[in-house]
Amino acid sequence: MAQPALALRDLVKTFGATRALDNANLVVERGAIHGLIGQNGAGKSTIIKILGGLYKADSGSVTIDGQTLTHVSPRAIEHLGIHIIHQEALLVPSFTVAEALFLGAEPGIGPLLSRRTMRKRAEDIIGSYFDMMLPRDALIGELSAAHRQIVQITRALLNRPAVLVFDEPTASLVRREAHRLFGLIRRLRDEGTSIVYISHYLEEVQDLCDKVTVLRNGRDVATLDPRDTPLQDIVSLMINREIGDMFPKSAVPIGKPALSVQGLTRRGHFTNVDFTLHAGEILGLTGLVGSGAKEVLAAIFGLAPADQGSITTHGKQGAVGSPAGAIRRGLGLVPEDRRGQGIALDMSVRENTTLASLGKLTRFGFISRRREAETVRQLIARLGIKTPGPDARVRDLSGGNQQKVVLAKWLSAASDIYLLDEPTVAIDVAAKVEIYRLLGDLAQRGAAVLILSSDLLELQGICDRILVLHRGRITHRLRPADTTPEEILAAATGAAGLGESIAA
Amino acid sequence: MSSNVLADQAPAFTERSVDLEDRDIRRARRQSQVIRLGSIAALIAVFAYFSAVAPGFANLGNIANVIEQSAVLALLAFGMSIVVLGGGGDVIRGGIDLSLGANLGLCVAVFAVASNAGFSDWLAVAITFGTGAAVGLLNAIAVVGLGVLPLLATLAVMNICAGAELVLTQNTVISTNSPLLGSIVGLSWLGLSVTDWVLVAATVVLIVLVQGTRWGLRLQAVGGQRQAARAAGLRVQAYLAGTYVAAGLLAALAAILQAARLSGSSPGSGDILLSVVLTSLMSTVFSRRLLPTIGGTLLSVLFIGSLINGFQLLNVSSYWVNGVQGVLILFVVAVRSLSTRRGGA
Repeated sequence: MAQPALALRDLVKTFGATRALDNANLVVERGAIHGLIGQNGAGKSTIIKILGGLYKADSGSVTIDGQTLTHVSPRAIEHLGIHIIHQEALLVPSFTVAEALFLGAEPGIGPLLSRRTMRKRAEDIIGSYFDMMLPRDALIGELSAAHRQIVQITRALLNRPAVLVFDEPTASLVRREAHRLFGLIRRLRDEGTSIVYISHYLEEVQDLCDKVTVLRNGRDVATLDPRDTPLQDIVSLMINREIGDMFPKSAVPIGKPALSVQGLTRRGHFTNVDFTLHAGEILGLTGLVGSGAKEVLAAIFGLAPADQGSITTHGKQGAVGSPAGAIRRGLGLVPEDRRGQGIALDMSVRENTTLASLGKLTRFGFISRRREAETVRQLIARLGIKTPGPDARVRDLSGGNQQKVVLAKWLSAASDIYLLDEPTVAIDVAAKVEIYRLLGDLAQRGAAVLILSSDLLELQGICDRILVLHRGRITHRLRPADTTPEEILAAATGAAGLGESIAA
Repeated sequence: MSSNVLADQAPAFTERSVDLEDRDIRRARRQSQVIRLGSIAALIAVFAYFSAVAPGFANLGNIANVIEQSAVLALLAFGMSIVVLGGGGDVIRGGIDLSLGANLGLCVAVFAVASNAGFSDWLAVAITFGTGAAVGLLNAIAVVGLGVLPLLATLAVMNICAGAELVLTQNTVISTNSPLLGSIVGLSWLGLSVTDWVLVAATVVLIVLVQGTRWGLRLQAVGGQRQAARAAGLRVQAYLAGTYVAAGLLAALAAILQAARLSGSSPGSGDILLSVVLTSLMSTVFSRRLLPTIGGTLLSVLFIGSLINGFQLLNVSSYWVNGVQGVLILFVVAVRSLSTRRGGA
C-alpha cells in the first residue's frame, strides 16, 4: 500500500474539562480530495490547529509522507509541503496583491525589491490559476472577502505544496466563485496534490470529495466514500447521541403572541424572517455559522438593527434601535460569549444580578441596598446559583453558574421575552439540565423564550417549535415531535429540500 | 416547490451582499483619497498664506533656514516612523518610542562631555552612536524581551535617559568645540550646509530602505498583521527589536547635528518629543495605506518648520506653536480613527 500523504493518528486534546479531541484519526491518501466534516464543536478546527502547529496535542502523532514529526510548527509542516488555507485570511491589509503574494520570498536584486517583476508575476499566476484579474494595485484591505481568499490560495500554491488544506473555504464565496474554486481544486488533485477539504456544506463535500472522514465529539466515527453513501447516512453519523433523557420540559399552555417578527431583513445577513413567539412557548432557532441566525437575534435585541421589517412585542409595533429600547420592551439577551458580553467578571453576583434593573431599586438616585439584597437573595435561591455569597466575584463561579447569573439579571429586570444564544455551550451536563429546567420554569410562568442553538438534541428536547435558517432565510419550520436531529441538520446544511415541513 | 428553489435563491442573496461590499470598498477608497488630497491642500494653503503675509518667507535663504532648523526633528521623526511602521499603528498597543527626545538630549550630552574630556572627534562620535544604540536596545529588551507595552516601556526609558543626562551635565550648559562641529557649521556645498546634506542623505537612504527593500516590506508586514508575518516565516521579534535600535541610532545622528548647532549641550532637548510624535503621526495622512512613510514624515516636518518660521516672521509668540501642534495631533488622530472605523472591514 502506498504511503499516505498525511496521517494524523490518535490525537487527544483537552481544554480544561472539555475533551476537544478524543483519539481522532485522519489519514489522507496521495492525490485525493479528502473531506473532513462534523457538527460545530466536533473538533474539526482543533485538528487543523494541531496540524498547523497552533495548538499542541496532548498525545498522538502527525506523520507527513512517512515522516513522523516530533515538533509540529508552521515552518516544519511547510518544509514538508503542507499548506493550510485558514478561514480568516492571514494577509497584511495594507499590502498590494503582489506584495501579499510574495511576502517572505520577494523577487528582487539583492536586498532591493523589484516591484514591476513582482506585479507582473502576480498577475500571471492569478490569471493562470483563476483565469481572472484582481483590481490593479488594490490594497488587500480594499478587496472583497472572496478576492482576499483568491490571494490566500494563490499564495499557498506558489510553494507547490504536496498537501493543501482548505478550512471552510466557501464560507465567504458566492456560488459562481465557489464553482471556480471547485474546478481549481479538482485540477490540483489531477496534478497530484492531495487536498484536505473542511466544510459543513454537505452537498459540496459530496460533490467534490473522494473520501470523507466524519468527526463526532472529537472522534473520527467513519471514513467513507461520499458517492456511495446517501446523504442521510452521513448526517446520521454526524449526530451526537450520547446524552440521555435530560429534557424535563412540561407541557405549558401557549398564550398570546409576545414577540412577532415580520419581513425582517438585514442586507448581507438575513432576508424576510417571519415568526411569532407566544407567551409560554420555547422556540428554537438553528443554522450553521454564517446562516444569519445569530444576526437575527442581534437585530431583535437592537444590537445590529435590521434594515427592513417590523418587530412587535406584546401587540406594540416599533423599531428596536438599541439594547436599551429592547430592555424597556421586556426583552433580555443571554449572549453566547457570556464572559465577554453577558456578565462583568470582576463584579459580584449581586452587582451583576441587578445591573439591568437598578432603576427599579433606586430611590432619589440612590440604590436601595435593602431592596437590592432582598431581590438578589430571592434570585440566588430560585435559580439555585451555587455561590459562596452574593458578594462573591462572578469570575470564581463555574460556567453553569455564571450562565445562571446572566439569567438572574433578566429575571430581576422583569423581562418576559428571553433571547438565548447557545446558552449551554461549554457547561457541564448537570448544569445544562438545570438550565433546561429553568427555561421550562420561565415558560411556565408565562415568559416567551427564543433559543438559538446548534445542539440539535437540545432543540428537539426543549422546544415547542424549531426554525431552521439556511443562507439567511428560514427554510424549515419543524415540530420536535415530527422531526429528527438528522432532519434538522439536513435542513441546516442545505441537504434537505424546501417544502414538506413548512406547514408547522 | 423543490430543492432547486433554495439553490436558486441562495446565490442571489449572497451575490447582492458582495455588490454592497464592493460599494463600501470604493467609498473607503474615495475617502482615503480625500484625506490625502485635503492634507496636501492644507499644506499648500499654509505655505501660500505665509508667502503672502510674512515678509521674506518665500525667499530662498529663508527656506534653506527652515530646512536647516528642521533637520534634527526630521531625523528623530524618521526613527519614530520606523518604530510605528514595525509596531503597528494602534495608538495604545502599537509601536511608539517616547524616549527619542530624551535619547537625543543624552546623546548630545555624551558627545559634549566626551569631546571636552579630550577624546578625538571620531571616538566621541562612536561613543555617541553607541549610546543611542544602547538606549534603543534597552527599549527593544523592554518591549520585545519583556513584553511591556511600547507606550510604557519607552516612557520608562525616557526617564532613564533624562536622568542620565542630568547626572552627566548637572543640568547646566556644556559648551564644546571641535573640528567636526566646526566643519558641520562652516562647510557648505552647492549652497547647502552639511546639516542639509546629512538630512538629504538620510532621507534618500531611508526611503530606499523602507519603501524599496525586502526589509522594509517585511517590516510593514510585521506592523500590519503580525500573524501573517509569522506565517510567512519572518522573525518578527528581530524586526521589532531592529526598529528601536534604528531609532536610537537616528537619535545619535541627530545629536551630533544638534551639538554643532548649539555648540554643545544644553538642557531641555526632550521638549522636542511632541513634535516628533506629531510629525510621524501626520505622515500617515500622506500615504494611501495610511501608514507612516519617510517622505510623508519629511513633508510633515517641513510643514511644522514653516509654521514655526512663519509665526516668527509675523512676530507671533512661539508659545502658540505648542498649542497649534496639540490641535494638529488631535486632528490627525481623529481623521485616522474616523477613516479606519468606516473602512474597517
